[in-house]
Amino acid sequence: MNEFIINTLSLGSLYALIALGLVFVYGILKLVNFAYGEYIMTAGYGLFLLGTYTPLPWWSVMLLSVALAALMSYLTELIAFRPVRTKSLTAMLVTSFAVSVLLQNAALLFISPRSRAVQLPAAFNQSVALLGVTTPLRNLLTIGTTVALLVGLTLLMKYTVLGIAMRAASDKFSTTRLMGVPANLVISVAFIISGLLAGVVSVFWVGRSASVDPLIGFTPLLIAFIATVIGGMRSLVGAVAGGYVYGLLFNVLSITLPASVINYRDAFMFLIVILFLLLRPEGLIRGSYTEERVG
Amino acid sequence: MLTVNDLHASYGAIKALHGVSLEVEEGELVALLGTNGAGKSTTLKSISGVLRPLAGTVRFLGDEITGRKPEAIVKKGLSLVPEGRDIFGSLTVAENLRLGAFSSYERNRYQEDLEEQFALFPILKERFNQPGGQLSGGEQQQLAIARALMSRPKLLMLDEPSLGLSPALVDQIFALIETLRDRGTTILLVEQNAERALEIADRAYVLKNGLIKFSGTPQQLESELDLASVYFGGEEGMGEVTV
Amino acid sequence: MSVLERILNGAPGRFTVVALAALLLVGAVLVNAFAPFVWVGIYTYFCVTLMLVLGLELFMGNSGILNWTYIGFVGIGAYSASILSTDPSLKHMGVPNMYPALVNLHLPVVPALLVGALVAAAVAAVIAWPLMRLSDAVGVITLFATLIVIHVLMTQWDNVTNGPRTFFGVQQFTTIWIATGAAILTLVGTHLFRESSLGLRLRASRDDRFAASAMGVSVVRVRYLTFILSSFVAGLGGGLWAHYITSFSPTSFYVGELFVLLTMLVVGGAGSISGAATGAIIITVLREGLRQVESYLNNSGVISFEVYGLTEVVMAMLLIAMLIWRPTGIVGGSEWRLPLRRKQAAAAPSPEPPAEPVLETEAAEEAK
Repeated sequence: MNEFIINTLSLGSLYALIALGLVFVYGILKLVNFAYGEYIMTAGYGLFLLGTYTPLPWWSVMLLSVALAALMSYLTELIAFRPVRTKSLTAMLVTSFAVSVLLQNAALLFISPRSRAVQLPAAFNQSVALLGVTTPLRNLLTIGTTVALLVGLTLLMKYTVLGIAMRAASDKFSTTRLMGVPANLVISVAFIISGLLAGVVSVFWVGRSASVDPLIGFTPLLIAFIATVIGGMRSLVGAVAGGYVYGLLFNVLSITLPASVINYRDAFMFLIVILFLLLRPEGLIRGSYTEERVG
Repeated sequence: MLTVNDLHASYGAIKALHGVSLEVEEGELVALLGTNGAGKSTTLKSISGVLRPLAGTVRFLGDEITGRKPEAIVKKGLSLVPEGRDIFGSLTVAENLRLGAFSSYERNRYQEDLEEQFALFPILKERFNQPGGQLSGGEQQQLAIARALMSRPKLLMLDEPSLGLSPALVDQIFALIETLRDRGTTILLVEQNAERALEIADRAYVLKNGLIKFSGTPQQLESELDLASVYFGGEEGMGEVTV
Repeated sequence: MSVLERILNGAPGRFTVVALAALLLVGAVLVNAFAPFVWVGIYTYFCVTLMLVLGLELFMGNSGILNWTYIGFVGIGAYSASILSTDPSLKHMGVPNMYPALVNLHLPVVPALLVGALVAAAVAAVIAWPLMRLSDAVGVITLFATLIVIHVLMTQWDNVTNGPRTFFGVQQFTTIWIATGAAILTLVGTHLFRESSLGLRLRASRDDRFAASAMGVSVVRVRYLTFILSSFVAGLGGGLWAHYITSFSPTSFYVGELFVLLTMLVVGGAGSISGAATGAIIITVLREGLRQVESYLNNSGVISFEVYGLTEVVMAMLLIAMLIWRPTGIVGGSEWRLPLRRKQAAAAPSPEPPAEPVLETEAAEEAK
């Protein structure tokens, strides 16, 4: 039972970070960013390239890779999203889809279609005993890092002007600008935070498989969708809650589903998502605004 | 101080302004009157940069600000209190006020500015740590004005500040606008409640169907024109008498 | 007045449709008579693709909603038609685990194609009603999730689809003539739809959802019917594609292929039939060209590594550039017109309002 709790907390933490990164941009720009998974991929290749071809110590490889994801997120905002921001939501969606395809295929073209092994410090996978359970250190690190990040982000959002401005912008974007808050500033910061979270996610995600490939971002993107739908698209707290709920759901389904239908787990998850959206489009935690519904 | 010249604006295919020109001098309280849909709010939105005008110019303190970003216009000292108050419901009163000071924040001046707002709006001190969404309509309007004042505006634009408030609260808001005027704040006031606005205004413009139909002092407006019938009443079937 | 004149003087889009159909036919004749054999294949493929883009435009271009599930319905049509048309003995070899009942089902190709399209439309009819009520982010994620569900079913249900493995042994039925004929029929069909009352109502709801519902247009119902129609075209196109390519796997009906169709639609212009057609032509040519470059680079030994993904990189950059600088697409929302006729059209009040570009916002003037 303790093992189940630690596994679920660790998986839930990872999912919470994944969801949070997606919602940060959605909250401000109302953009479901399909390129989000590729920021995770970017950091993954950062780990691979810096870890393999430079003599840098592992901790600086990790920090640089996280920074690389943030940079990539910022660059996509600057080059692709900013010019289409005043156009329709569909135009932004198609742009994010195109950015996703572009980054994936750039990795295919310039690095390799095959997956690359990533060197992580051995301590990462070492087993430790806690509460009578032996678990990889990685799991505990995931939980610890998530808690630290959530505390940090909460402080940022609550006690800094920038945080207040970002909360205001996700509530009423136009009015926030009337306060003198530059639109580009809040949007860029949202993308940078989203990228940072993607980078941190990448360290732990890649840590699980110890390899990176061009399609590595797809599964986290799906996870982000499911978790944010469960938690509610509009609230950061909801995204975190959704991540943990999904982590729990995933582990429960993995244990309880018979082996013959385990391959359908993703389909099950998405059926749940669809039902959730139809029955409760605002998610578990209601944001300050409800999604527009037609009909 | 503010000069608007031949301003045209539209929402999609619908043209809302057909060449509006107006002026506000330093220290004045100018009222912009008209019925629903006359283009009053559109004028304010175009001046403040929320809406990009199709043609025409807006000059403020000698600089052309036409089509600039709203955040840049606020920084120049032109603040808008939007229609419907538009406070941030999920943010506390304190956070709303802090954002108001975003463009002109100076650490050593901030507390002083805050105290000034508390003197004008004592209720905000009481509600300081409550979310804006929990405030009553009148309190929200006070917060919206205080929030705009936190940016130390040289010109304050108020869009329908009395909308949806009870008569007692309307009195309070108009008294407050007078106080601000007496303290030397330049104000451009948009109102449907023409009678009340004319009581305190130095000059007035009347807007109809996206065009300025009259400009002058309140006395001229009252003597030269039968306000109710000509400007807000039947004539062209506009209906809706607001006086 | 001759028949031709009557046709040419009809609704604004009619000239475009006739011209496009004639072009397609002439193209097919020329390619068939003079071009190398490879070109016949490319042309056939192009016609089927054009049909699929037109089907995508049918719903997306007219409603402004990004329809992720479209490619899933292409797959449903492809699998259904192929299962029905393939000879039982071949099926038994190709899909060893197939349910015996399915193995024994057998139809000639044409009815099989129609049934495939109907299956796609039926699935759409069952699942789409609740989906059409959602909009914005929730709608996008739901449609995307639905595509994932369809894809998981295709890759996992190996009693039907052969799972992630290739489904092979399908007859080669789709010739250049059949593909051209199908594309022309789809052109005419989508044009008639646009001018029908349903099409007009859908476009009205795209341009202003609230005004449309105020005028008594049931947005959900109109979208629902069009979604089914669009899925029918997807299913039919999928069946034809399967009977041209003869072997395929679930990856052919996933995000990557949708990206190609979407790029065609956006590059050409998502608001019109001419746009969809222009995009299909340009992107087909571009893809073939880039493939040549890729295979040249890989075979010539100029560079030491294998080039993979170049086509997609270029297409994605093109798509982003179009969205930034010309979101209405090359054609720009309205149909092709003859230069001479444009003057007349400008002089006379147009019977239909100019099509608003899909990807432009209703609130573009709200300076963000």
